[in-house]
Amino acid sequence: MVEKKKEPKSRLRRITVNVMKAIIKSVIFYVVYYFLWTLFAPASQFIPGLQTMFETFFIIYIILMIVGELTNGTIYHYFFSGAKTLFVISYMIMSLGGGIIGLSYENISLLVDLRLFVVIAMLLGTLGLAKSVLQAINFMNEKAEPHLI
Amino acid sequence: MNISIRMIGIATTFFWIFIIIFAATAAYSVKDLQFNFGDPVTSMTTDNQMIFSMPINIVNRGLYNIGYFNITSKITDSNDVEIVHNSTVVPVIRKGEEITVYHDLAMNVTSMLQRYQDYLFNDSELRVYESVGLRLAEVIPVQASGNFTVPWGAPLYNLAVGTPQFTPVNLTHFRVSVPISFENHAFFDLSGNLHVRMYSSSGALIGQGETVIDAPQHSQYSGSVEPYILMNQITPTPTNPTGYFTFTIQTPLFTYESGRISYG
Repeated sequence: MVEKKKEPKSRLRRITVNVMKAIIKSVIFYVVYYFLWTLFAPASQFIPGLQTMFETFFIIYIILMIVGELTNGTIYHYFFSGAKTLFVISYMIMSLGGGIIGLSYENISLLVDLRLFVVIAMLLGTLGLAKSVLQAINFMNEKAEPHLI
Repeated sequence: MNISIRMIGIATTFFWIFIIIFAATAAYSVKDLQFNFGDPVTSMTTDNQMIFSMPINIVNRGLYNIGYFNITSKITDSNDVEIVHNSTVVPVIRKGEEITVYHDLAMNVTSMLQRYQDYLFNDSELRVYESVGLRLAEVIPVQASGNFTVPWGAPLYNLAVGTPQFTPVNLTHFRVSVPISFENHAFFDLSGNLHVRMYSSSGALIGQGETVIDAPQHSQYSGSVEPYILMNQITPTPTNPTGYFTFTIQTPLFTYESGRISYG
């Protein structure tokens, strides 16, 4: 009887903790976004659409992070974590056009070579993806382990 | 396994933070980078090279050094034939540093005008290609390039040589007046000598004369050379002279020799 009463309580607590973590992480990421945008803002006058690029990235990233946090304690948490990493990689490739940003204004053209950054970001993204896969395997492994009665 | 995963997580987070902070501060440093391009100064060397010297003041108040600052200029004619090409490179501009570099472009006007005499008589356009490159924080290559055209003014635009006028000055000599005019559209002053050689119809040199020409930039020159010729050298008769003449315009920048111009 005692066990049956405790189960919904702990689930509620877990959900509350997950929601709180999601809120805190969202706030932290919003602050990070705000701070980073302050630093990148001078470059936005040379790169049109930089703010939209930034906003889209942070909105999708924060959504994936919130969903991931809400599903914490389930296998879906790792799926969303992997999805988040894949999103970072694909968004980098798409938005940075392979690492070379070319802009033209009247008869002046500007070329910024960010290939080194893209490569490093790809490697870190791949490492993050590998981490998510390992976490998922570990999670399933722990679930499958026989418990002592 | 948990420890390994955690270590991967810590390493990944650390590198992400590092790369994001580096990228953000490098981008922010662009705001504190100033380039001031001064007015080009034109000067002439002893070997008739025209030097265009453009002062560039660079102020780096950013957080990182600027690496491999380079500026390249290329001037071509309307057919894309290269006339002059030069690059100026500054290996490193340290943070907080303010430097002035001079980007020089040495143009051998003499050689150009000797090779392409069309530039002596016809106004044209020169294409200028400029490229400025640097490495932000010595890592991120950035390059800006552009091209534009500059007008070329011909120094002997609309060169016209009139018919020689023979005027007897005494019983033995004729004074020949050869009128010559042109417009100096060039960006430099033109001063030198105009030398005329008169030949009879048989090809014998019968007289020559010289005058000094002085045509400041964007001005019109109109003058004449007046050689004296012995009457008995004029063929077939002094009242009906025939033959040809040639003239040479000699300036520190170029020498132009005309072909045969018939008279009579």
